[in-house]
Amino acid sequence: MTVRESGPARRSIWIWGALFLVAGAISGVEMVEQLRRASAGDAFAEILLKFSTLPRAAVALAAGAALGLSGAILQRVLRNPLAEPATLGISAGAQLALTAATIFAPAMLEYGREGVAFAGGIVAVSIVMLLTWRRGLEPVSLLLAGMMVSLVASSFSAALVLANGEYLYSIFIWGGGALAQQNWAPALSILVALILASAIALLLVRPLSILGLDDANARSLGVAPHVMRLGILAVAVGLATTVVAEVGIIGFVGLAGPALAGLSGARTLKQRLIAAPLIGAIVLWLADGVVVLAGGAAGERIPTGAATALFGAPLLLWLLFRLRLFEQPSFAERAASRRASRPWATVAGIAAFALSLLCFTLFLGRSPTGGWAWASGAAFHDLLPWRAPRVLIAAAAGAMLGGAGALVQRMTGNPMASPEMLGASSGAGAGLAVILLLSATPSPALQFFGLIIGALVALFVMIAVVSRGDFGPERLLLAGIAIGAVATAITTAVIATGTPQAFELLRWLGGSTHSATARDATIAISLAVMLLAPLAVCGRWLDVVSLGPVAAASLGLAMNRLRLLLVLLVGLLSATASVYIGPLSFAGLIAPHLARMFGLGPSGPYLYGSIAFGALVLVSADWLARVATFPYQLPVSLMASIIGGPFLVYLLSRGGRHNG
Amino acid sequence: MTATLPGPSRRALLQGALAVMAVPHARAGQPPARVAIIDWALLETALAIGLQPVGATELMQYRVNVIEPDLPAAITDIGLRGSLNFELLSALHPDLIVSSNFYEQQRGLLSRIAPVQTFNVYEPGRPPYPRAVEATSWLADLVQHDEAARRYIGETEREFADCRAALERRRIERAIVINLGDPRHFRAFGPDSMFGDVIGRLGVANAWPQASQYAAAAPVGLHKLVEIDDAYIIVVGPSPVGAARARSSNAIWNALPAVREGRVITLGAINHFGALPAARRFARELAHVLPDCCT
Repeated sequence: MTVRESGPARRSIWIWGALFLVAGAISGVEMVEQLRRASAGDAFAEILLKFSTLPRAAVALAAGAALGLSGAILQRVLRNPLAEPATLGISAGAQLALTAATIFAPAMLEYGREGVAFAGGIVAVSIVMLLTWRRGLEPVSLLLAGMMVSLVASSFSAALVLANGEYLYSIFIWGGGALAQQNWAPALSILVALILASAIALLLVRPLSILGLDDANARSLGVAPHVMRLGILAVAVGLATTVVAEVGIIGFVGLAGPALAGLSGARTLKQRLIAAPLIGAIVLWLADGVVVLAGGAAGERIPTGAATALFGAPLLLWLLFRLRLFEQPSFAERAASRRASRPWATVAGIAAFALSLLCFTLFLGRSPTGGWAWASGAAFHDLLPWRAPRVLIAAAAGAMLGGAGALVQRMTGNPMASPEMLGASSGAGAGLAVILLLSATPSPALQFFGLIIGALVALFVMIAVVSRGDFGPERLLLAGIAIGAVATAITTAVIATGTPQAFELLRWLGGSTHSATARDATIAISLAVMLLAPLAVCGRWLDVVSLGPVAAASLGLAMNRLRLLLVLLVGLLSATASVYIGPLSFAGLIAPHLARMFGLGPSGPYLYGSIAFGALVLVSADWLARVATFPYQLPVSLMASIIGGPFLVYLLSRGGRHNG
Repeated sequence: MTATLPGPSRRALLQGALAVMAVPHARAGQPPARVAIIDWALLETALAIGLQPVGATELMQYRVNVIEPDLPAAITDIGLRGSLNFELLSALHPDLIVSSNFYEQQRGLLSRIAPVQTFNVYEPGRPPYPRAVEATSWLADLVQHDEAARRYIGETEREFADCRAALERRRIERAIVINLGDPRHFRAFGPDSMFGDVIGRLGVANAWPQASQYAAAAPVGLHKLVEIDDAYIIVVGPSPVGAARARSSNAIWNALPAVREGRVITLGAINHFGALPAARRFARELAHVLPDCCT
């Protein structure tokens, strides 16, 4: 993938210079006012200027530069124009480490805040690389793996806070970093990290450029590629995690810096390493200035970290369509090496197991005294109306996600694709966010309406965007990710405001089966049956699709129309499931893998097996959510991410034999 | 399907519950023996008048943030206030569930388990202290602990008088009550909050006369504290982790006129949305700290 260049570099320098002055002017308004009051004798204004306003500008510039440099290095080392600390899970990993330390070992935070964050970031990026190692760190897979690790890390953070009994503060996990300052310590800390990292990066410019060649040539030129890569990767991670430790998660600046640098005409590595931090600094300073201005005297409405995501997500969308995408040779899954001799019998067996697990979860739970209890007789009658609806909803949503996941993975040939990646469920969240902004206490019907409309809008935008091409898998995934990012930015911005509406959105995000009624369950099951019915005929189509476009056309299948229909179906399935359990769920990602692990190759059994596994996964997650931190219930999808994530890492790292 | 309740038939109980809800002070025969309480303000009130609830919410945090009155040993934690454990609540077989306007959304599900009685201590625009006193009488009436309630209200008035005297001795005429959220922001308590209302009744003018500014992310910038002139700053807990160390290196905080002149009173953790016990704890802590604080 390469980025098309636009315009001569000189013109870009003028533009960036102008933007720098604009950002300076916005910040300058407050500075000048405080200077005026300070010289008129207002001692406090002087303190504010020296210890709040100026450090804030310094932090904005330093953090922006640090993130820009980090992003530039990551993009070079991983050869991925979409890499940045937030998308690779580094920021989320750092935040998880900090959250865990806050709860379990607060003493560590007094002295080693940056160290704790660094440990979290390194572990996260290691997992991401481990996941995609066998695929040669292929860019789209790297992005998907990064998003997955981000999601698992954020879910873990939220779960830790909830298990500690603090419902109120779990909101901060999904928010963004804030740049308000009260002394110079954070600014200096980031500045030191930035200077060290820049020095190292500039010293290593030549070896880094050589890393752009393939490994054999690099070695022959005297560069040890792995050591070099890991070393410089650690530098990039250290930069990003220092920013997280000091100000929190700031998304997209690490992407904007290098991307805009490339677009502004920086071609060589050295030019990028210099331009990316400068542009990142200007972008963050500008964004912070706008946030402060928009907040006015009442204080900021949304933290800067959430605002940059809001500005940056459309940038990501725009970038994706300036990228010349070479359709990668489809990583069509190699057939499962172990094939079940009687696939339909296997499917029946899995379905039976899922059903018995469902019954099991109805009986086994925790007792009021904290021990375990097998409900029977009268106790069972009492508990059934509470347990049955939520278990059935989990099963219905899981089935829908399993089916959607199977479709998506077979359609795109990418084992890390999940139905959420098509953006419909994030779009549902954005729809709900808009409804909550318009009406303070919307009825459940209105909320449902908002969710569905949001999902449909996201789907249509994605289809419109992708239909200009040919619905190729990579384009589909990238478009879905970009639209999902825009929608998630909207949702995150609303959550970050901390109003009661934000909590309503947070409740949806985590999945709220705990207050399910029998009526909800009936509706969920009917919807699941209705939407999964078309899958009965999809089996044969999917088999033909995997033969490739030419063979498919010769067999009479209009490829584009088919892909369009499949995308619509997947979108509807994932959006409907998200109404009940929120947008973040692993069932759609794991279920197809489990189906394949059990040797279900041909599309029919594969689809049904995936549906059964999806139901099984979510029913288990629901049960664990009920019993793990009794009596505090964790949201279902949080639990699904927590158990699903590591399991998926295990599955994929064993990967080679089963699929790409 | 609901649990079969001991005692009167279900229909009689429902009729009784309707009657009680319609006429708050009517008695419905035997007082409910097993009471579950969702709202923390009402939980405090119940414990204060000697009621032993069978279940209440977020007890881990209660022990850290509310502290008094003490929780009985046999009480069961029924989950997070934002996501109640209905299954557990139902298994406790309560006779009565006490809730407030904050949990209106859960009312439908709760009424499947037991009759629900609600009382709103906090309503927009109304000072909460008189409502807290009414809540004490109301709850006492429900569970027939009227004598204990009267005694508690009387004790509260006496503690208020003590605190009023201590404040007069210190000549504190204006104060602002805040809670620190992070090193740069605080939450302000206006007259529509318990602390703001109580400080007024203790003879101190509230230096934050407008509505409270309270949110999960503390909304008011520290620099606003410059505008309070010669008022005292009363900092109410709980404080965030590492707050003590952060305060000493916080140039903005240390430059505030009130901080430089030693007009800061720091109290421990108190329930921000509490009832009479929280008000009493506030007054008592204040009276306790005043003689040794400030220059």
